Amino acid sequence: MVKYDDTPVKLMLYPAILFLVFGMSVGVYLAFNTFVFPDYFSGEYIHFGRVRPVHVGTVTLLWLLSANVALLYYLVPRLCGVPLWSVKMAYVSCALWWSSLILGVFSYPWGTNFGWEYAELPNWVSVIPTKYMTTIAWLLVAVNIFMTVIVRQYKKMYVSLWYAMGTMIWTTFTYITGSYAVNWVPEGISRVNVSFFYVHNLVGLIYTPMGLAIAYYFLPKLSNQPIYSHRLSMLGFWSIAFVYAWVGAHHIIHGPMSQWMQTTAIIFSVWLIIPVWAVVVNLSETLKPHWEKYSRSPPIRFIMMGNLFYLLTTLQGTTMALRNVNEITSKTDWIIGHAHISLYATFTFFAMAGIYQVIPVITKKSLWSARLAEWHFNLNLLGSVPFLLALWVGGFWQGMLWSTWATGTSYAEFHNSLTLLPFIETIADMRPFWILRGIGGVIILIANLIFVVNIFNTIVLKQERHEKQETPELAEAKVTS
Amino acid sequence: MSESKHPNPDHNSHHGFFHQLDTSAVLTVIGILILFAASVFVILLAPRFVDPTWTTPTSSYQVQMYEISDPNFYISTESSGSNTLQAVYHIKKDFTLLAFHESDTVRLVAPEELQPYITKVGDQTLKLTSRLLLLRHPQKSEAFDAVAAAEKVNTQLQEAWEKENPKWKEEKKVKPGFAVFELFAADGPEAFAAAPIEGNVENWVDDNFKLLDEPKQPYHKDSGVIYINNPVEYRISRFVFNDQEGWRYDPNGERIKSLEEFKGNAIGFRSRAELIALGEHIYAIEGCWYCHTDQTRTLVQDVVLNGSDSYPAPPSSASEYIYQKITFPGTRRIGPDMSRVGIKRPSRDWHKGHFWSPTTASKGSIMPAFRHFFDDDPRGTSKNQVGIPNYRFEAIYQYLMTKGTRITPPTQAWWLGKDPIQTKEIIEGQRRLPK
Repeated sequence: MVKYDDTPVKLMLYPAILFLVFGMSVGVYLAFNTFVFPDYFSGEYIHFGRVRPVHVGTVTLLWLLSANVALLYYLVPRLCGVPLWSVKMAYVSCALWWSSLILGVFSYPWGTNFGWEYAELPNWVSVIPTKYMTTIAWLLVAVNIFMTVIVRQYKKMYVSLWYAMGTMIWTTFTYITGSYAVNWVPEGISRVNVSFFYVHNLVGLIYTPMGLAIAYYFLPKLSNQPIYSHRLSMLGFWSIAFVYAWVGAHHIIHGPMSQWMQTTAIIFSVWLIIPVWAVVVNLSETLKPHWEKYSRSPPIRFIMMGNLFYLLTTLQGTTMALRNVNEITSKTDWIIGHAHISLYATFTFFAMAGIYQVIPVITKKSLWSARLAEWHFNLNLLGSVPFLLALWVGGFWQGMLWSTWATGTSYAEFHNSLTLLPFIETIADMRPFWILRGIGGVIILIANLIFVVNIFNTIVLKQERHEKQETPELAEAKVTS
Repeated sequence: MSESKHPNPDHNSHHGFFHQLDTSAVLTVIGILILFAASVFVILLAPRFVDPTWTTPTSSYQVQMYEISDPNFYISTESSGSNTLQAVYHIKKDFTLLAFHESDTVRLVAPEELQPYITKVGDQTLKLTSRLLLLRHPQKSEAFDAVAAAEKVNTQLQEAWEKENPKWKEEKKVKPGFAVFELFAADGPEAFAAAPIEGNVENWVDDNFKLLDEPKQPYHKDSGVIYINNPVEYRISRFVFNDQEGWRYDPNGERIKSLEEFKGNAIGFRSRAELIALGEHIYAIEGCWYCHTDQTRTLVQDVVLNGSDSYPAPPSSASEYIYQKITFPGTRRIGPDMSRVGIKRPSRDWHKGHFWSPTTASKGSIMPAFRHFFDDDPRGTSKNQVGIPNYRFEAIYQYLMTKGTRITPPTQAWWLGKDPIQTKEIIEGQRRLPK
C-alpha cells in the first residue's frame, strides 16, 4: 500500500476555498455598487474598473486554478500508484504560487493592471516579480505532475492522466503566450489576436482539461461506477486538442480582424460540439445505471449539474460564434453570463464535487454535516439560475435594442432610430436584470459561505467533538503534545 | 518508448524515465505538440504576413500624427493657479515644416532674403520650409527695421481700406486692425512656438504646396504633409509670489533656452506623445476597457452609433491600432464605444464635467466618478463647478482624442462624408460589397 502525502493538496486547497468566498463577495459588491446602486461607494481604489479584475483574478486564479491544482495533486498520484514525485518541490511551488498571486491580484486597485483581459497580473509589484514567480510556480507544478506520471506504478493511463498531461503542456504554452508573447508581436491587432487566443484557451485548454480530469476521476469514485467508455473520453480529449487552439478569433467577430480568421474561428467553434458531446454522454452514461445516486449525493449532483451546464455553455458558445447570433449577443451581458456558466456553473461545480470527495480522505474524518452539503448544492442551483438567466435574457434584450438602430433604408432613418433610443436608454433598461443578477449572486454567496463553514468545521471541529468523548486530561495532553 | 528504440540503452539516467513511458503517453505529448504547433503557426504567426492591414498604417497622415506631430507638441499649465492650459510646438531645424501664410487680417514683414517664404493672399501654392524661421512682434535690429516696416504695412492697408469704404464714418464701420508679425531666422537647432490648444487635427496639405528647400526627412517626400502655420515664438516670464516661483505665458518675456529647461520641473511641459502613452496606461489600469469597447464593428448599428449627424462612422480596421502598445477592442459595452470618440465628443469641457460626475453629465449613466483626475482647488478661489483637472485628465483626454480622428487626413475625413470605404453607400444598400 502506497502512502500518499497530502500536505501539498491541503496547502493548495484550503486557501483556495477561502478565496472562493472572498472572490464572490467582491463579485456581489460589484453587482450592487456598479449596477444596482451605481458608484454608491465612490473613489479611486474602489470603483468598478479597478475592482473588477480583483474579482476575476480571485475566482479564476486564487480559487479555481488553485483548487484544480490541488485536486490534480490528489488524483494524479492515486492514478499512478506512486506518491507525488517531489513534495518539497510542491512546497516551493505553493510558496511562490500564493505569495505572487495574492500580491499580484490584490495590487490591481493600486494601478498595476497589465491591460490584457485575464492577463492582468503585473510583471512587477514594486520590486517583486509577481508574474515571473507565478510562472515558475506553475512550471514546478507541471514538472511535478509530469514526473509523477513518468515514475508511475500502473502501466495503463486513465483518461484523467491524459487530461492532466495535456493541461500541463497547454497551460504552460497558453500562459506564456498570453502573458509574455503578447508583447513580442507587432502593436495593434497582432497583439489582440494573441490576447484572444489566450483568453479563449484559458478556459478551453486550462480549465476545461483540468475540470474534465477532475470530473472523469471523481464521478466514478463518488458513484462507484466505472467510466462508461474510455474510448469516447479519448475522442473528447483529442478533439479538444485539435479544436480549441483555433477559436480565439470568435471573440472579435465583426471586428477589425481578418475575415478568414473569423470564419476559421467560427468553423472550429461549431466543431466544439464534438468534445463536449463526448464528455456529456460519457458522464451521463456512467451514472445511468444508478440515477438514484443523483438524489442521494450532493457531490454527484454537482458533477451532473455541472455536466448539464457544460452542455449548455458549449451549445451557447457554438451558437454565439455564428455571425448572425453574434451580432445580437456580442458585447452584451450575455457574454458575462457565458463566462460565468463555464467557469462557475461547470468547472467550479466539478471542483466542489471533487472537494467533497477529497476532504474526508485527506483529513481522515467524515464530513461535518451532510445536510449543509445538501443546502450548499440547492442554494447554488437556486442562485445560479436567476443569476445566469438574468444575464442571458438581459444581454439578448440589450442586443435586440441595439439592432433597432439598423432599421431603415437611409442613414437619416438609421440615425433617427438612434435618436429615439439613445445608447444610455439601453443601459437603463438593464436595471431589472441587474437587480435579479445581484439577488442570484447573494444566494450563491450564502451557499458558498455554508460550504466554507462545513469544510472548516470538518477540518477543525470534528476532531474536538471526537475528543470530547475522551477524558479532558487526555484531550488536553493530546492537544499539547 | 521501448528500450530497443533508445539510441543508447546503457545511458542509465534516461533509461529509468523512458522505460516507464509507454508509447501512448509519448504519442500523446508529440500529438499535442504537433497539433498545437500547427494552430499556433496559422493563428498566431501567419496572419500579419498574410494580411497587410495588420501592420500597414491607414494613411501617411496617421504616421505623421504619431511620429512627427505628437512627440513635438507640448502641453503644460501656467503656474498662475487658474488652470490655463498652454500648448507649444517644439520646432526643429531641417525637420518641422512651416508655412507663413498671410490672410485678410494677418500680414508678415520680412527682410529681403526671407520674402520668398511668405505665401501671400491670393497665392495658389502654399510655400513650406524646413528652415528654422519664426514670427514675432516686430522688433528693430541693425539689419532690418521691422517696426517701421510693420507701421508702413499697417498704414498702407488702412489707407487701402479707407479707399474701399469711403463713407466708413457715416456707415459707422469700425476700422479693422491688422496683425503684423515679423518673420525672422532663429538661431540654433530648435525653437518653441505657441500652438492652439483646442482641436484634435493638425494642419495638413496634400494639394498645391511646394517645399522650398531640399527634402531633409523621409516624410518631406510624402504626397501630403503636416505643417505648422504661422508659428509665433513662445516666450514666458517668471515671477515670484511670496516664496513660490512660477511662470506664465508672455509674448515679450524671455526665450526658452532648451528642451531640457522646457520639460524640467519649473515649466513642466509634456509632449502629446507622452500624454497619449500615459493615457493608454491610465485606460488600462482604471479598467475603462471592461465597459467600453474600442471597435466600430461591421454592423449597421455600430456605424450608426458612432456616426455623426450626417455620416456613419467607418468600421474600425486593423491598421488603426498599430500605434498602441495595448489595444482594447473590448468584450462588453455597458458604456458607449470609444473608437470614434474624438469626433463624437471633442470637447475638453464636456469630458471635464463628465469625468467629474458622469451620472450628472449623462443621466442614467452607471460610470463611476473619476475625481482623482482632478486636484482640489488649491486656494478655494476657483469658480469652476468641477475641480481643476490634473495631468491624468489631460492624458486620458489626449488618448481619447486620437480615436477616430487619425484614420485619413482631415481633408479626406469620414465626418465630411469622404469615407474611403463608402460606409454610407454600403449600409443604405446602394453599393454591394465586392465578392
